[in-house]
Amino acid sequence: MTCIGEPISWLRLERHALAADPTVAEHVAACAACRHCLDEIRGDLVALPMLVVPERRLRWWRFAIPALAAAAIAIVVLRPRPEPQHHGELLAGVKGVGDVVVELVRERAGAIREDATTFSPGDRWKLVVTCASATGAWLDVAVTEAGARDADHPLAPTHVACGNAVPVPGAFELTGTKPNNICVRVRAEREEIGERACVTVTRETP
Amino acid sequence: MEAVSDPQAAYRTYGPALVRKAERVLRSREDAVDVVHALFVDLIPRWNSDVDLPYLYRAVTNRCLNLLRDRGTRARLLEREQTVAAPVGRVQLDDQIVGVALIAALAERLDAAHMEVLVARFVDDMTQDEIAEHLAISRKTVGRRLEHIRATVIALQEVA
Repeated sequence: MTCIGEPISWLRLERHALAADPTVAEHVAACAACRHCLDEIRGDLVALPMLVVPERRLRWWRFAIPALAAAAIAIVVLRPRPEPQHHGELLAGVKGVGDVVVELVRERAGAIREDATTFSPGDRWKLVVTCASATGAWLDVAVTEAGARDADHPLAPTHVACGNAVPVPGAFELTGTKPNNICVRVRAEREEIGERACVTVTRETP
Repeated sequence: MEAVSDPQAAYRTYGPALVRKAERVLRSREDAVDVVHALFVDLIPRWNSDVDLPYLYRAVTNRCLNLLRDRGTRARLLEREQTVAAPVGRVQLDDQIVGVALIAALAERLDAAHMEVLVARFVDDMTQDEIAEHLAISRKTVGRRLEHIRATVIALQEVA
């Protein structure tokens, strides 16, 4: 495949895919070869293994100096603690799987949010999993509308290979006006009970 | 978009781009993922806010070239290269797409500085100006190194 002029390097295409560059956009619109490369980037899904960042060891004197200064000033300001932010991220420690992070991702008219806790009709919801187990994990999603006795299971129980931000196949929508409790059960084997983590998603007022 | 202060965030943001870059050199997704993961693991203790995508790109190039210098790995990747589809060759070196075999052959004859220019030009498809900026060298030096690379390729072909 031949470029119409000077090819846009892969690095510039990658940067353009992360944050639009008008010069690159103009070239790609006219050049099939470079457009093909950009499409490859956009259509590629990379499953990265989990990256564990150890906590840094901090030296005692780094705390001592500010602590002494604070003691000398002896001013204590008390403020009410803000409520913890409730993001669409669920964390579960599962026997046989280890730590599993499940992100609830909302897609609305092409806009993706990983921290959404509200819904509107037409939103699509997906799960993205991060885990490190070599054997992967089983996931089962249950959605219970407030006041309902039974839960819906919008996705079939799925086995996912662990990695970094692995999308779970399938998506689902939420309907109605009441809050929905979305629970994800994670287990090492399909028959096991595993662990459950939940998040509540409320309907947006029109 | 550029420098990211947190290695986890950088890994998530730039990891896929770096895997694709390593895969273009090695022609193996599994090895590419290993290269990128190992790079971040090594970078975590000395992470700083200057780490951006171009820096990581260079680091991945060097790690891929080191991998290809290892005879065992090289043999495995050469064998694998025969089974994977040829990449899109927008920038070619004397009408040939630069693949594992040529990079491995040149790695035995060229120094690290020339190999970096080779990958930037014929694998990453950078212009000479872009290479100069990316590697912090003059455009003239880039031109000289490319000439030397071409001469080495011709010499290789004559031997073959």
